[in-house]
Amino acid sequence: MKPQIKSSLNAGLTFGIVTLFLYLIGFTTTASQIIQNLLKLEPESKVLGMDALPFSFALFLGLIGLWAGARQARAMHKGQSVGVVLGSAVLTGLVHGLIVALVAYVTGSLNASGVKLNTYLSQLLPASVQLFLFDQPPATGAFLQLGFLTLTSFLGGALVYGLMASDIFGRLAAAWRSLWSRVNDLPAVAKFRASPAFNYVAYGLAAVFLLLLPLRAGQYWNYTLGTVGIYVLLGLGLNIVVGLAGLLNLGYVAFFAIGAYTVSLLTAPSPHGLVWDFWLVLPIGILAATLVGILLVVPVLRMRGDYLAIVTLGFGEIIRILSKSDALTWLTGGPKGVNNVGGPALFGRTFDDVGYLYLIFLSVLLAIFVTRRLQNSRVGRAWESMREDETVSRAMGINILRHKVLAFAIGAAFAGLGGVLFAARNQFTGPEDHNMMVSINVLSAVIVGGMGSIPGVIAGAFVLKGLPEILRELENYRVLAFAALLVVMMLVRPSGILPASRRKFEFQSGDESSNRGGEGSAK
Amino acid sequence: MKTVLETRGVTKQFGGLLAVNRVDLVVPENSIFSVIGPNGAGKTTFYNCITGFYTPEKGEVLFFGESLVGLSPDQITYRGIARTYQNIRLFSTMSAIENIMVGEHSRLRATWAEAIIRTPRMVREEKAAVEEARRLLNFVGLAGLGDQAARNLPYGAQRRLEIARALASKPKLLLLDEPTAGMNPNETAEMVSFVRRLRDELGIAILLIEHDMRMVMGVSDRIAVLDYGEKIAEGSPSEIQHNPRVIEAYLGKPMSE
Repeated sequence: MKPQIKSSLNAGLTFGIVTLFLYLIGFTTTASQIIQNLLKLEPESKVLGMDALPFSFALFLGLIGLWAGARQARAMHKGQSVGVVLGSAVLTGLVHGLIVALVAYVTGSLNASGVKLNTYLSQLLPASVQLFLFDQPPATGAFLQLGFLTLTSFLGGALVYGLMASDIFGRLAAAWRSLWSRVNDLPAVAKFRASPAFNYVAYGLAAVFLLLLPLRAGQYWNYTLGTVGIYVLLGLGLNIVVGLAGLLNLGYVAFFAIGAYTVSLLTAPSPHGLVWDFWLVLPIGILAATLVGILLVVPVLRMRGDYLAIVTLGFGEIIRILSKSDALTWLTGGPKGVNNVGGPALFGRTFDDVGYLYLIFLSVLLAIFVTRRLQNSRVGRAWESMREDETVSRAMGINILRHKVLAFAIGAAFAGLGGVLFAARNQFTGPEDHNMMVSINVLSAVIVGGMGSIPGVIAGAFVLKGLPEILRELENYRVLAFAALLVVMMLVRPSGILPASRRKFEFQSGDESSNRGGEGSAK
Repeated sequence: MKTVLETRGVTKQFGGLLAVNRVDLVVPENSIFSVIGPNGAGKTTFYNCITGFYTPEKGEVLFFGESLVGLSPDQITYRGIARTYQNIRLFSTMSAIENIMVGEHSRLRATWAEAIIRTPRMVREEKAAVEEARRLLNFVGLAGLGDQAARNLPYGAQRRLEIARALASKPKLLLLDEPTAGMNPNETAEMVSFVRRLRDELGIAILLIEHDMRMVMGVSDRIAVLDYGEKIAEGSPSEIQHNPRVIEAYLGKPMSE
């Protein structure tokens, strides 16, 4: 068989399976409803002679069909004629359509003969099955699907072929680049960018944005942004441990828990009756987390990689299980957790959601500041060299043990601060706030964002904690869509959304040859 | 002449295998001392005994008269020994200049607290470190490539970068482990003159492991030959070339015996 045909069959098969999967879990119906809502169609209205919902479904299915054809055409287009590219798109669509139509026909007929499919597959409600057939009888619906998917696949292929052939994106990018460089080369712009004023203006704008945002966003978004902010804080801490020093720590939540419990037990009326001031407890919480970080790292100093990951994973769980154990209920409040955790007050006013968000922003800025300063220093370079090659790092005169302890301690301090803020804002802490998923989420934020990169960590935290909020629209399919997005993101940008960039030390002076010709050349 | 490095009866054993067996060496200052021997003769193990990655079971390693046995690799680097590796081991995602700055680690003093506050002393030190790194880049002929990631440099440049990184600690003794491995004759010739420059311009002692005989004979002041962990000969290049035990170790015994 010709490779082009084989590849088309493969693509059709893959897309067929994907479409069927979405159908069998009922996602086609949900997606259609979302599209209908987005287009603000009345349920009773007619579009192009179709009811609103089947029309929305057709849009959804059409998008998948377009995608299939486009993808196949993109895979094919190099060195192939128009006929081959479009043909393979059509073939993909045919295979895709055949698979889908077949299942649609079978499920449709069963449904029509009164079999309750949702007793076997809970999401396969009669309405869903009907919708999948465009509300037509099984045979008509199946033929419609076959034709429709083939057509959209062809259109997708043609679209991509047109774009590729005309190289429209390449031209647009080139035009944008030339415009950008022309603007940058303007004397006034260049002077402005080089002057310190540029930085001040940028920082000023950012500060105004951060100051105004909590006032405008409303309580719900302030809460969500606060959670994201705390995750940024945790991510920045873990970024030092994992991203810079290369120590895979899966029990990072332990330090978060220490911070949270310190503030809870010292400011809540029960179980200890200590109602200390928040501002006094804040540094104690950070300090406690740091000390625990140092204590925990000592036994694992000589471990590397996977072994370290497993042991730290255990630590995280030990802290959580201790916090809910019966034996320690007198100390920690047990599984019920601690209620009425005290919060900060300034000038006699307790903090509302806006105040907390400001406090979190401030903490994040502090953490960014500390991270940047450390990263661009002897200590940061030592960490990164350890991550790259621990053995050679030792041969460079780096005291590995000391730098590991330092990385853990600073990472733990950030987590402790995060824990203090989290418990104070929620006015509660309990064992389940500190389960393993926190560690995993923070680690994912660091990896998805880009290891060792501060903007990456911020982006990662937004994706990990902010995106699920935005995806609420998808209801039951939130986690599925979220997971799929993560997978896609890691496929598209394997080194993270905003990977770390290296600091530049050498200024490329105009005359390259004189630069190289000095006493330097080894010839 | 002062002695930089002296080993007395250094012995390292792995289970039943005597990897290094009672090796005595004296490396005088401002000289190039080569260690040669067939594959598996224990040369790299011997290096690891000097740099603290292995602790020899018996014997002494003296650096300017001070014993190094039992010190950790980083402490030994602080005392003034630097090394390169047989298979290049750069910090591959870091830039060339950052690699050199990691090499400067043992000479810098800034602590984490100073780094956060950015004390004037730390800022001065950091500036000088960048300056020195640039100078070293220039010295090894890599000027203009400082911001490239180490892994993106061509092979020969990586070799030279590794030497620059080792030089960054301002060592008094430099251990080179097969610096010409994988190089063509032209590059090897360049390396010969480069190693000479290290001795003559920087005045440091060099201990060299090498297989390429043109390099060894061309550059060495003295040569020691290891075979099965034992030192079987030592002398000037011409003495070694005519030593029957060395010829036997490399080529085997003559048929007539």
